[in-house]
Amino acid sequence: MAHPGPVGDEGEEHHGSPWPVIIAVGMGIGYVGIVSASIPILLAGVAVFAGGAGGWVHDDLQRPSSAFYGLAAAVESKFPRVSGRKLALWLFLVTEIMFFSAIIGASWTLRLRTTTPGATFQGPWATPGEILNVPLTGLNTFILICSSLTMVEALAAIERGDQRKVRYFLLATLLLGITFLSIQAYEYQKLYFGEGLTFTHAPLGTGVNPLYGATFFAQTGVHGSHVTAGVLALAYTTRKAFKGGFTKENHEAVELVGLYWHFVDVVWIFLFTIVYLI
Amino acid sequence: MTSTAAETAVAIRVPTAGETSRKRPYIPVFGTLAVVTALELAITTPGYFPALEHTFRIVLLVVLSTIKASLVVAYYMHLRYEPRWLALIPLAGLALVAVLVAALIATVAHP
Repeated sequence: MAHPGPVGDEGEEHHGSPWPVIIAVGMGIGYVGIVSASIPILLAGVAVFAGGAGGWVHDDLQRPSSAFYGLAAAVESKFPRVSGRKLALWLFLVTEIMFFSAIIGASWTLRLRTTTPGATFQGPWATPGEILNVPLTGLNTFILICSSLTMVEALAAIERGDQRKVRYFLLATLLLGITFLSIQAYEYQKLYFGEGLTFTHAPLGTGVNPLYGATFFAQTGVHGSHVTAGVLALAYTTRKAFKGGFTKENHEAVELVGLYWHFVDVVWIFLFTIVYLI
Repeated sequence: MTSTAAETAVAIRVPTAGETSRKRPYIPVFGTLAVVTALELAITTPGYFPALEHTFRIVLLVVLSTIKASLVVAYYMHLRYEPRWLALIPLAGLALVAVLVAALIATVAHP
């Protein structure tokens, strides 16, 4: 697989990696499993995906502070002052903007159309605080904002070459992310089992539209899955930081994980307003 | 070739002396985000700001969340410090969102 691609300093070779291909194959198998409603095929896809991700992380952790990243990024980039990887991540974030726009747009369309006369699913949307715990989610929003601050401070620390602070700020970001997910899990548990808000039913006696729960869980659920992915990426980045894997000159992974994490924060800023406050 | 690559890498990876010495306003941005979040909660809390008309309240909440999101993108995602052309990428995404919103409004208005 090794090929004389973009060259690092001292003539280091650019080593091709099979893991992204394996991950893509795993995702393809998993997609086939979803489309064909086959649990075994889906699980096989998940297993291949997990194996590819694990192999990639394992390989990467063996290569701390490699010049591969910075130099390869520089050589590959055809754009001024922005590495190819950062550009790719921004393009990925645009696809994420469309993904969340579709989910939020569908929810709003349902909300507006189900309150019109003659709609199949009758009933108003819940008012702010009627079903959802707004103060608790306000706290969760604050936690996510705090995690954005610690994330950007981690990047600032490694830009100065401060190994101690980058570790602790990344660890703080990771813990804040886990806290956010824990509070969301608690909220789901209270709503689903305590209040009776499900995908098809609103709590009894409220008269709220039965689609309210579906849109609530869809919007907050896909965001929560993104936070989960961010927490996994942060766990890896934090571990690599504690192994001394980043330097003042070479820390693009911290910046890219940070971009993703801040984007997840931006999405939540809108979701908090749209789902909980309006 | 090798030295050119290394020089380019340094130009990308390592901030210049001016950039590293520049104080970026992470803490003030955090304070603004926290205060605006508290304001959003206050606006929504029954009994607070009772004079706010419903539609105006919604518009105000959307404006406040847009301000918060813009601050995160500009300062925490460093878009303010990147080359200006990079902003075209998220702006292209927002243009697509505008098309989607227009289509959804049309769907709702003319089911």
